Amino acid sequence: MNAADWIVMVASLVGIAAYGSWRTRHVRLNTYLRGESSTGWGTIGLSVMATQASAITYLSIPGQGFESGIGFVQNYFGLPLALIIVCAVFLPMYRRLNVYTAYQFLGNRFDEKTRLLGAGLFMLQRGLAAGVTIYAPAIIVSTVLGWRLDFVIVATGLLVIVYTVTGGSEAVALTQRWQMAVIAGGMVTALIVLIVRLPDGLGFTGSVAAAGALGKLHAVDFSLDPSRRYTVWTGVFGGLFLSLSYFGTDQSQVQRYIGGASLREGRLGLMFNAILKIPMQFVILMLGALLFVFYQFAPHPVFFNRAEWRRHAEDGRFRAIEAEHAAALAQTQSAILAWTRARGSDDAAREATARAAMVAASDRAQAIRAEARAALLAADPLARIKDSDYVFITFIVTQLPHGAVGLLVATMFAAALSSKASELAALGSTTTIDFWRHFRPLAAADEARNMRVARRFTAVWGVFAVAFALFAGFAENLIEAINILGSIFYGVLLGLFLVAFFLRRVGGSAVFFAAIAAQTLVIVMYFSLDIGYLWYNLIGCAACVVLSLALQAILPRRAGPGGRAP
Amino acid sequence: MTSTPPRDKQPDTEPPGVPGFGTWRAVYLFVFGWFVLVVILLTLFTAMYA
Repeated sequence: MNAADWIVMVASLVGIAAYGSWRTRHVRLNTYLRGESSTGWGTIGLSVMATQASAITYLSIPGQGFESGIGFVQNYFGLPLALIIVCAVFLPMYRRLNVYTAYQFLGNRFDEKTRLLGAGLFMLQRGLAAGVTIYAPAIIVSTVLGWRLDFVIVATGLLVIVYTVTGGSEAVALTQRWQMAVIAGGMVTALIVLIVRLPDGLGFTGSVAAAGALGKLHAVDFSLDPSRRYTVWTGVFGGLFLSLSYFGTDQSQVQRYIGGASLREGRLGLMFNAILKIPMQFVILMLGALLFVFYQFAPHPVFFNRAEWRRHAEDGRFRAIEAEHAAALAQTQSAILAWTRARGSDDAAREATARAAMVAASDRAQAIRAEARAALLAADPLARIKDSDYVFITFIVTQLPHGAVGLLVATMFAAALSSKASELAALGSTTTIDFWRHFRPLAAADEARNMRVARRFTAVWGVFAVAFALFAGFAENLIEAINILGSIFYGVLLGLFLVAFFLRRVGGSAVFFAAIAAQTLVIVMYFSLDIGYLWYNLIGCAACVVLSLALQAILPRRAGPGGRAP
Repeated sequence: MTSTPPRDKQPDTEPPGVPGFGTWRAVYLFVFGWFVLVVILLTLFTAMYA
C-alpha cells in the first residue's frame, strides 16, 4: 500500500464512522433492539445479504475456492428452499406474534425454561461464532500492517465493541447497504484485474480449463458417501435445515423481519436473497479457483499469513522449504503450459500424459505448502496454520491499482466491523430481553435502563468473542468454522421452533428435555463420527422433534402458564 | 419503551406488488424454478470442466 491507499483508506473509514454516528445520534430501545420500523424491503434484503455476504464471505470464500475448489457452493443449495419456507410460514407467524426476540415466542408457547434454553443455545452458538468472526477484521489489519494476529484481534475487538455499543442495529442496517455496494464493486474490480493478469499463454478460457483439470471446478457432487463434506445431498438436506435455522430462528436475522415495515417487504427481501445467493457464491468461489491458477504463475509466499511465517521462519529449514516451493512452482508453470499446448493438439494420449504431469506437479507444490504448515506447527504448537483466508486479501493488497486498494481494504474492514456489530447487537438484545428481564421483570418498563443494560451485554459478548479468538485454536478457515459451529447448535434450535409451530400437543417439559438430549447427541456424534457436518442440522432437528413426541407420550400432561397443555 | 411492541397491521394476504407476480405462490414457484435451473447449470458446468 502506498500513500494514496492510506489516504483513501483513512478517509473512507472516517466517512463511514461519521455517517453512522450522524444517522444514529438519537436512538430509542425499540429501534436499538428491533431496527427501524420504516426499513424498506431493499434495505432488509441487502441487510440480510450483508450479514451472510459479509467481509468474511469475501475474505474466506475465495480462499476456500483456492484451496478446495468450488464444491462449497453446494453448501447453499438448501438456502432458496429454506427461504421460501421462512417466507411462507415463519415470517407471518413472527409478525403476528409481535415479539422483540424469537425466543419470547418459545416462552409464550411453552414456558420460561424452554425460552431460556432456546435463547441460551442461540447465544452459545453466536457467542462462539463471534469468536471466529472477530478474525475477519483482524486478518485484514494483520495483512496490511504485518502485525501479529493476536495483538490485532485485541485492538480490532475493542474497536468493534465501541462501534456496536454506540450504534445499535439501526446503524448496522444503514451502513451495510453502502459497504455492500463498495465491496461488490471492489470484487468486480478484483475479478477484472485477475482476468487481465492471468498468464498470457492461458487467458481466461485456458485458466478455467486448467482450474478444472487441477480439480478446482467440481461444483456438483452426487456422491452418497456421508463423510464427504459437500455433496448435493448435504447441501439440499443439511443446507436446508442450516438455512432454515439461521433465517428462521437466529435472532440476528429474526430481528430484521420484526423490524421491517411490512410483511410484504420482509418477504421480498428474503426472495431477493434466495435468487442471488447461489450465483453470487459461485462467482466468488470461481474467483478463488482462478486465483489458484494465477498464483501458479505469480510469485507468492509458501504460507500466505506472512506475519505468522516471519515470526517463526528463522532457521535454515524454513529457507529450504521456501526454495523447494519456488522450484515446484516453476515446474508447475511449465507443466500447465505443456498441458495447454497438448490440449490444443487434438492428441488425446498426449493431452492425458500432460494432464497427469500437471496434476503431479501441482500436488507436489501443495505438498510443500503442507510441509510448511507442519514446520510452523513444529516450531510453535499454537501457531495458526490455516492461511487460505489470507489469499484474497494478499491479492488485493499486491495486485489491485493504488487507491482501489485503500478503498477496498477500508470497506472490507468496515463491513467486517458491521458484521460483528450485527452479531453482538443480537447477542446483547437477546441477553437483555430473554435473560436479564426474566430475572428483573420490574425493570422492563425503564427504557433508559434497558438500553444501558443491552449495551453492557453487547460489550460483554464482545470481550467474550475476543477472549475465545485468542485462546481457542481451530483448524478450519473462517467460513467453514462458522458453518460447523452453526451446524452443531442450529438443528436443535430449529427443532424447538418446529415443535412450537406444528406440534401443539407437546408441552414445555417434553420439548425442553428432548432438546437437551438432542443437543447432547449431536455433540457426541460430532466428536465421535466422521460425517459431513451439514448432516448435524438435520440430525439435531429430527432428534429434537422425535424425542419431544416420545417424551410427551411418557410425561404427565400439566396445564398452566409454566407448561401449557394444548 | 413498552413491554408489548405495537402490532403489525399489515394483513398476511398482502400481494407481492411485483410486476408479473399476482400472488406469493407465484413468487415462490419462480424462486424454486430458478433454484432448479441454477443446479442444472452447475451440473452441466461440472460435466464440462471437472
